[in-house]
Amino acid sequence: MPVYNFKNMAPVPSANDLVDIVLTRTQRRTPTVVHPGYKISRIRSFYMRKIKFTQQTISDRLTAMLTSFPRLSDIHPFYSDLCNTLYDRDHYKLALGQINTAKTLVDAVARDMVRMVKYGDSLYRCKCLKRAALGRMCTILKRQKASLSYLEEVRKHMSRLPALDPNTRTLLMCGLPNVGKSSFMNKITRANVDVQPYAFTTKSLFVGHTDYKYLRWQVIDTPGILDHSLEERNTIEMQAITALAHLTCSVLYFMDISEQCGYTIESQCNLFRSIAPLFANKQLVVVINKIDVQPWETLEEEKRRMIEELVKESGPNTTLLTMSNVSEEGVSAVKNTACDKLLAARVDSRVSGNKVESVMNRLQVVFPTARDGIVREACIPESVSKERERMAMQSSNKSKKKKGSRIGYAPTVEDEEEEDDTPSESEDEMMDGEAGNSGRKKTARELMWENGGPGVWAPDYREQYDLADPEWRFDAIPQILDGKNIADYVDPDIEEKLRVLEEEEEQLQAEYEAANMEKMDDDSLDEMEKVAVGEIRDRIKIIRQYKERPGGNNRPVLPREIRGRTKDKHDEDAKLSADAIEKRMEKYGVDASKMVERGRKREREDPRVRRRAERAAAADKEMEDAAANDSDEEMQDGRGLSKGAIKRAKKEREQSVKREKSLARSHSRPREPSQMGLKDESMAKIAKKVESKGQMRWHGGKGEGDHTQSVHLVKWMNTGKKRNGTHYCR
Amino acid sequence: MPQHEHMERHRKLHGRRFDAEERDRKRTARLAHKRSEFAQKVHGLRAKLYNQRRFKEKATMRKTIAQHNERSNKHANDEAVADGAVPAYLLDREGVSRAKVLSNTVKQKRKEKAGKWEVPIPKVKPVADDEMFKVMRTGSKKNKAWKRVVTKCTFVGDNYTRKAPKYERFIRPTGLRMKRANVTHPELKTSFQLDILVVKKNPSSDLYTNLGVLIKGMIIEVNVSDLGLVTTSGKVAWGKMAQVTNNPELDGCVNAVLLV
Repeated sequence: MPVYNFKNMAPVPSANDLVDIVLTRTQRRTPTVVHPGYKISRIRSFYMRKIKFTQQTISDRLTAMLTSFPRLSDIHPFYSDLCNTLYDRDHYKLALGQINTAKTLVDAVARDMVRMVKYGDSLYRCKCLKRAALGRMCTILKRQKASLSYLEEVRKHMSRLPALDPNTRTLLMCGLPNVGKSSFMNKITRANVDVQPYAFTTKSLFVGHTDYKYLRWQVIDTPGILDHSLEERNTIEMQAITALAHLTCSVLYFMDISEQCGYTIESQCNLFRSIAPLFANKQLVVVINKIDVQPWETLEEEKRRMIEELVKESGPNTTLLTMSNVSEEGVSAVKNTACDKLLAARVDSRVSGNKVESVMNRLQVVFPTARDGIVREACIPESVSKERERMAMQSSNKSKKKKGSRIGYAPTVEDEEEEDDTPSESEDEMMDGEAGNSGRKKTARELMWENGGPGVWAPDYREQYDLADPEWRFDAIPQILDGKNIADYVDPDIEEKLRVLEEEEEQLQAEYEAANMEKMDDDSLDEMEKVAVGEIRDRIKIIRQYKERPGGNNRPVLPREIRGRTKDKHDEDAKLSADAIEKRMEKYGVDASKMVERGRKREREDPRVRRRAERAAAADKEMEDAAANDSDEEMQDGRGLSKGAIKRAKKEREQSVKREKSLARSHSRPREPSQMGLKDESMAKIAKKVESKGQMRWHGGKGEGDHTQSVHLVKWMNTGKKRNGTHYCR
Repeated sequence: MPQHEHMERHRKLHGRRFDAEERDRKRTARLAHKRSEFAQKVHGLRAKLYNQRRFKEKATMRKTIAQHNERSNKHANDEAVADGAVPAYLLDREGVSRAKVLSNTVKQKRKEKAGKWEVPIPKVKPVADDEMFKVMRTGSKKNKAWKRVVTKCTFVGDNYTRKAPKYERFIRPTGLRMKRANVTHPELKTSFQLDILVVKKNPSSDLYTNLGVLIKGMIIEVNVSDLGLVTTSGKVAWGKMAQVTNNPELDGCVNAVLLV
């Protein structure tokens, strides 16, 4: 069954708002920049997109609107009729139809204008067409002002309709105004309907819920109905009529016998007769209300007869009940009767309906036939029959107090009192039990009562522990031992596991000792050497790991020439400088000075260069010597070296210094090949910069060599009929 | 459980807050200031729209105020003119001045004199050929340029049959063909959508007339049989002239004024 929920309909914007929404959306969600210089096809598609988008938005919005409003033919006839009375079915359908028409019109406008834009030959023309298109669409929307505002009102009202379910168990109150329908509603539900002493306080249907027989009952309060023809009824009354006509329910027809409502009993009877056709197939209860003012018994004979006749003529299903909302007399009787009648009717309809057939067809009740004439009675043990007899005796002579079964409950004070009250009885039983079969063990419960009841004595459950040695049963078990929870270590086969572990350990130890016996001999290194060996091994391991690191292949590989120039700390293979070599070898405790020198020698194969270097070294040495001599010249003048030799050395030194000063760079020394052809240092710097830029891609960046040109079709090569043999060889 | 009129119900149960009236009063008092603030701040299209709306509001306000003031205003009273002899000193004071009526009739006569073919849009902007036509290059090598495509909207009759493509010089695209026009009756002040019967005259060129090109200021003939107009001799008129008042190629529709 569909549940009718009109609360989740989206709000309907007014025509102006809708136009704003649509245009703003178009502006925000489509591209906004276009220039007359663009290719015409691009301009066209720009404006076509705007038109299509607007149309799409409008039709989306309108479709959402159309689908959210229920179609009156699809919903329950009660709701459809209610909508008819409240909103006028024709108006409703017309409004929705107009919205639908507007949608198709907008689609048509968009289609036409897009077709026109396809022929647009300038930006201006396309733009004008777009403007016209959007304008026409918005005009269509603006024309829907009335229907949109009407639909919004309908939506608001619908969302506030009470959520009543037309198919559930329902009690429905009806009657003239002011006869006490709403008061009764307030009595049996929590609906809190407004009750006032004037007619038509209730202007629409109200729904409340009540419980009866663990079921949920829907109670509907209707506005009062006046006694006139259907055409004269107004909207308020029509709601009540609609509810009466379409809901399968139990109807409570309220009558005010005190006539305080302003209508005579006769007129109330007339109304009943005029709406009687609506009561067909419904459970009817005629409620005589306000008996606190005018009791039913003291009512004039004539009027009473009138009412009774009315009930009689309306059929056998009608019940007459009296009640008063003020004194609350008969309120629950009315409710119960109405509910019972409806429940019975519903069950009846279930049973007599078609659905029952299908269930009944599947049911089969089998009566087994007796296979022979032998009577097989139940075998009752002698003790049981005796016990039964005894019980029968007891119940016959006592039968004064029935004790409820308390199995499964904790003993309470009440129990104790009972025991106290009837000590002879309970003790009798107990004694009987003990005497009857003395071999029976006393139950813990009995023991508890013997020893002072609950709270005083409790059975010791440890007696029932099933342990390997019954001696252990009463041992104290700490919960926590050595900061550990004992329970964590409880394991039924811990012994077995421990044994296995111990065996394994022994075996391992034996193996280890056997291996050690073999090794002992070649261990001739002392402590320091062992440490050194360890370090070396670690280092080897690290190097190996470094070499085997993942992703080694997929990185730029430096060509050999470049390697030396870039001092890449991540590159192990780079050619090392002397400093780096020294540092590294120092790490292993090796003096690298000779290594460096040898390397230099090999590098500078030119003998002149080598000679100069040697000479410079010698001069340095001499200078040091001379300096040393100078410092203590006064004291040791002329000692160690002859005067001539000193002079010669001095002269030579001066000359060499002079020569050094005059030269920016030795002429004989060839320039570095990379700086060949560069004028001076600044040029070299610039060149270096440019070079490094070129090498950028070795570091992952995009360099000048990375410039690629995508393949593009050259027009003259690819158009015309020169291809596919059409031109030359036809 | 609030049902139906929840606002009213709440007010009934709990009343309104004590300063509700004061707040309402203040809100209305503040409204003018808020409006003015907005009006001074707003610019662009929104300002234009806002001012239009506001202008309308103000106009209606002025009208209603004028209506209310009508009772107290002083205005000419024709009935007050006494019958019979009027004293000389009262001659020019009251009564209707006939100047207005006179001037109206003069204008009317002048209009009639001006001729039958005075039309709402007297001047028609000439359209050059290269604006009107687009060259269509044809031939297998696209080197022939003798075909023309009309870039404006056109009217093409129902029974028009195209020539063979080989001989078809002027192409009128189907997307730009118009069949109906929105015609306004200037006296009835209403518009109708009417079928175009024929293009009468394009002042720029006869070629355009023959092609049925629709541009602003053109005279077309429309089918007015639905309007039930009657000629002076009592016959039902079914074709009437109308002048195109917009640029159909920019608006996507033909608007015209009926010439009556």
